[in-house]
Amino acid sequence: MTVITHAPPATHTDHRRLTVSVALCTYEGERWIGPFLESLRSQHLLPDELVVQDDGSADATVALVKTFARTAPFDVRLEVNEYRLGSTANFERVLERTTGQLVALADQDDLWYPTKLERLVGLLEDDPILTLAFSDADLLDPAGTPTGRRLWSGRGIRHLLTTHEIVPGVLFARRALSTGCTMVARRRAVEAALPFPSSLDDPIAPMRHDRWLSLVAGAVGTVRAIPEPLLGFRVHPDQQTGVLTSSQLRRRLLRAGAAALRPADPSRAHEHRARARQVAEAAHRADCLGDFNEADELHRVVRHHEARADLGPTVGRRLSTMWTELTTGGYDRSTLGAAGVLADAARALRPPRKGRS
Amino acid sequence: MSILRPTRVLAITDSLEVGGAERVAVDIVNSLDRNRHEALFCATRTGGPLRHQLLPDVEVEIIGRRATWDLAGMARFAEWVRSHDVDILHSHGRGTMKFVALCRRAGLVSTPHLFHDHYGRLHLDRRAEPGLRSALRTGVDAYVGVDSRLCDWARTSVGLPAERVHLARSGVDLSRFDGIEPIDLRVAFDLQGVELVLVMVANYRQQKDHPTVLRALALLAPEVRQRLAVVTIGSTESEPGFFERCWKMATDLGVTDHLRVAGAHDDALQLLAGADAGLLASKNETGPLVVLEYMASSLPFVVTDTGEITRAVRDLPIGYTPAPRDPKALAEALTALVDLGAAGRTAMGLRGRAVAEAAFDQSKVTDEIERVYHQVLTRHHISTPRQEPAVIVLPNADRQYSPSG
Repeated sequence: MTVITHAPPATHTDHRRLTVSVALCTYEGERWIGPFLESLRSQHLLPDELVVQDDGSADATVALVKTFARTAPFDVRLEVNEYRLGSTANFERVLERTTGQLVALADQDDLWYPTKLERLVGLLEDDPILTLAFSDADLLDPAGTPTGRRLWSGRGIRHLLTTHEIVPGVLFARRALSTGCTMVARRRAVEAALPFPSSLDDPIAPMRHDRWLSLVAGAVGTVRAIPEPLLGFRVHPDQQTGVLTSSQLRRRLLRAGAAALRPADPSRAHEHRARARQVAEAAHRADCLGDFNEADELHRVVRHHEARADLGPTVGRRLSTMWTELTTGGYDRSTLGAAGVLADAARALRPPRKGRS
Repeated sequence: MSILRPTRVLAITDSLEVGGAERVAVDIVNSLDRNRHEALFCATRTGGPLRHQLLPDVEVEIIGRRATWDLAGMARFAEWVRSHDVDILHSHGRGTMKFVALCRRAGLVSTPHLFHDHYGRLHLDRRAEPGLRSALRTGVDAYVGVDSRLCDWARTSVGLPAERVHLARSGVDLSRFDGIEPIDLRVAFDLQGVELVLVMVANYRQQKDHPTVLRALALLAPEVRQRLAVVTIGSTESEPGFFERCWKMATDLGVTDHLRVAGAHDDALQLLAGADAGLLASKNETGPLVVLEYMASSLPFVVTDTGEITRAVRDLPIGYTPAPRDPKALAEALTALVDLGAAGRTAMGLRGRAVAEAAFDQSKVTDEIERVYHQVLTRHHISTPRQEPAVIVLPNADRQYSPSG
């Protein structure tokens, strides 16, 4: 590539270095945390601070963090919860304590490759319009050995993310696409996401911290996905968010197919209402910040979920509602497309089952 | 047989309405070295007010096509190109590029094609959909991006060879700013007694970020806020509802006293000449050209840090470039500008003008574009020798080339 310019060369990269916080949540992670902390120490670009929120571990996790803090080449600030908050609330707390202009989320059981922070921070420094960037990851077995698979492939989102380098905010309303440990967020995205709304804690349709942060970051800015694996993502039975193997994915799809043939479950309606509340909260925050267009897009997703929560009392009414959503593009925005249409068609044609609502 | 004549360049846009890409196209055409080039201009859809800003020697054609696949339009365009014996096609904007590339791929024209990409929605979409990728790969000989992110996209997402991708920051025709009669903004907008009047040239539309300006005004310390006012210049009807929502936000935030809405103005340069500083908040820009206009008007500026021009000047003491969509950072920059005092701001504006003259004068940018023309022509003639080759003579011996290489 040639560069046509008489302008002075950009020399922003040095003195524009943004401060970086790593936000780490821990809980009973003595088996994993040592290698993770060492991988953090080995980063080509060291963070300015490591902020740790321990959720009341009874094992040696806290002691290991304290030991690391004595020799760490950056500030380490540890806080231990008096009572257990759970993963999402724990991340909310740790995000509140970070001070960096950029915040990298971390899980205790991963292994960061040396270039991870350098690459993601570089992207955000180089392109100020980005509010969040996230990468792919190599999957590791519990012993830390690469399995040869990637995180995005394991979650069935590789095609979507490789064709959407800039991920539209509404896609995060559609499904979880980014995993916390793969992302670096700009401060204003973090501030817009805090405090977390209570609707995230819905018992049937919870929304995790990383999906919420991505949803808000997309609503108030621009999110970029890069297909390079910048860390090893350990898959083990104790972790909160796992990756499905091919056979697990097949079993889940079969279960979903069987469920579609049974009478409609009222919990589906509840799930749509919960999702509508969560997305509406993100839309409200975008609207308050003056991101009107993005807020309008999210409001359309909210209306779609509301319509699906209450398809109607009769088969004809339900099919009519579905048809409206199909022709106005609602299914494109907020469900897994054809799968959502099929599931709703099954609901529309069968009487509702008595039960949870 | 040799043909001794200047290179005939055809600039192609969708229209001659006032817009960033059209402005660049007109400025390049007007500043082409007339000893070495003949300039022609084709608007494939409609004309517009910029037609009157083209120099008299520029022949203009309006094709009037209605879609990319307008067969009659394609035929008219191809016939016009052939009848004028055009040497190089220089298209601006992706829609125009697709139209020209289609003509090329349909075999209607074989003239080398340079595409100038001004795409400004990088914050929303960087996909290279198949139609676009195919047009760029097979219907374009050289790609000129106004932003390094566009050039990266062309190489990595589209797969264009690096030697065919060129970065060209936009320039400014400084002569347009000479002898401008300023409009007294304090009188025109009832701002008597205000120490610092900033102008923001931006239509009210989502890509521009008026809400961040309003929130920044609200964040300013009261003693700072009372010393400044912002005059926005630009259409309030570009996107339905956006202006009304902005105004409601301004009302809710209590900053309407510090805001004046001038609407669209034909005499924007006179308003700039009467201002104390320039302001621009955007979600994304690939230029933005208005920064060059602020510099050319000797105005210090506060411009959000997005776009290739802002990137080039962000470290120079000629203005402030806070992060985009960050009202706190914008408020800090505005405070710094107020604290600078009138003398400091004047000095900053003069430094900006000097930078514009040294680095962004249109003639310098056009020189580089001309070099790309000649690279493309050389490559084209080597790859497709004619039976009766044309020899295009350039004034500088070292730039003379012939099909034989």
